[in-house]
Amino acid sequence: MKILVCCKIVPEEQDIVIQKDGQLDISRSAAKISQYDLNAIECATRLAGADGEVVALSAGPRKWLDNTKIRKDILSRGPASLHLVMDDALEGAMPDTTASALALAARRIGFDLILCGEGSGDLYAQQVGLLLGEDLNVPNINAVSSVTIENGNVVVERSLEREIEVLELPLPAVLCVTSDINVPKIPTMKAILGAGKKPVEVFSCAELGVKTESLSDYVSIVAPEGRERMNKIFESDSDENIASFIELVRKVVQA
Amino acid sequence: MSKYPVVYVVADRPEVFAELIPGALGLGERVEAILAGHPANASGVFSLGADKLLTIAPREREIFENYAPSIAKAISATPNALVLLAADKRGKAMAAKLGKALNAAVINDVNTFDEGKSGHMVYGGLAQGTEKPATDIVVTTVAPGAFEQGELGEGSGETVALDFIEPAHPITLREKRKIKASSVNIGKARRVVGVGRGFAKKEDLALARALADAIGAELACSRPIAEGEHWLERERYVGVSGVAIKPEVYFTLGISGQIQHMVGARDSRTIIVVNKDKNAPIFKFADYGIIGDLYKILPALKKALGK
Repeated sequence: MKILVCCKIVPEEQDIVIQKDGQLDISRSAAKISQYDLNAIECATRLAGADGEVVALSAGPRKWLDNTKIRKDILSRGPASLHLVMDDALEGAMPDTTASALALAARRIGFDLILCGEGSGDLYAQQVGLLLGEDLNVPNINAVSSVTIENGNVVVERSLEREIEVLELPLPAVLCVTSDINVPKIPTMKAILGAGKKPVEVFSCAELGVKTESLSDYVSIVAPEGRERMNKIFESDSDENIASFIELVRKVVQA
Repeated sequence: MSKYPVVYVVADRPEVFAELIPGALGLGERVEAILAGHPANASGVFSLGADKLLTIAPREREIFENYAPSIAKAISATPNALVLLAADKRGKAMAAKLGKALNAAVINDVNTFDEGKSGHMVYGGLAQGTEKPATDIVVTTVAPGAFEQGELGEGSGETVALDFIEPAHPITLREKRKIKASSVNIGKARRVVGVGRGFAKKEDLALARALADAIGAELACSRPIAEGEHWLERERYVGVSGVAIKPEVYFTLGISGQIQHMVGARDSRTIIVVNKDKNAPIFKFADYGIIGDLYKILPALKKALGK
């Protein structure tokens, strides 16, 4: 059983600075594995067990992927190897382009099952996994909250807004797992040290034949203006402060 | 101001039409409703203003996603169209399938449509992204509340039955379980009391519940409380992948105020904060706040505000 797990490298959102004109400055943001993809990696390693093979795959510009720390972070979480579609043409890639890059790489690498997170931590388009399945022309589904393999099929629980479905998909297949399918483990020191010895293979868009023009593109990304807040803060919970605080709250609630 | 010649509203149940058709009317010359699901109340699409209803007879044990080829074929008859779906899990799975089949751009969670451009939140709600699709057919899922809600009334009009086209990779439904229908709707509550990591154990939420009861508020929470601890239902989680609230007053108790949470709460009229960490980012969003022990402050608050 060869499980391919996809993960996106995104800017740490805590480090994003909103400029005066509402533009986002991500130049000071460290790279990190998109949080939802940590669930996919954990799901892959648990599912593979001792006999299966987990291979990680990511696509993006050098800015995010030409980074030893990030590569080791991915590999310390269980995958035996890492494949990258690393190309500056993928800077700000739209979901259809990312899906096509991943699909072309996946065909080269080979797979029985591909796991993705529910969406990326930056653009959260929630499309790449599904489009990847469509590009590869294999069954695919989202909102997967449990996965088991049964006789060459994958049986999943799917958590929808009003119901839970138990679905059966023939392999190979692509699944997008939910953010509460598991709690990702923190890598052990041994795993972190071992990660540096695992193989990393790099493709370019040209090698794979990735077309980088997209079906859609952003014309703007702007932070909305925040509401002005009163910002009346009591610095301690002395009885006096609590009483004054309650007085203010009472006026709001009884208005 | 250009309109699409046709806007298709695609749904697995008629209620979605009440949510999407009123907004669809302003975006296209014609609105056609496509229903793959039980047709009860479906003629209500005409009372909402739809020009045509396309139905696919529901099949035993067929999931909505398996109807994608049938729906794509119906839409492909029009060279230039906007497709609207509900922004739920099914809607998003269907959107990807339709997008691929129709070579159309797919945009999820759209909250604004403007002159052929579609807006939706990015970076965990930190910013609004606006996309301009390059394709003649565009598939979108529409964020809850983006359009004015309509009502399914009585009506009649042109109704066409579509043939079922077997998908290349049908997904087999083994079993379906209803999730206990949640009556919780914090999105519409006038008062909300939100709890976070500042509570040491589940039993302590009783303090927050008592306050909520005293002032007639709904109880809500940050993501770790719903998804990590499972102390409250997911429907009570405020944030980017949870619910967006817009109450008159929002009490945040022991919530640190990560942007991912605040995105769901920023439309609250007044925000009241109790948190013991003076560096918690939540204080930046506070109208009235107190740095202190919620175990000491909450009982006093409840006592003062209770009737």
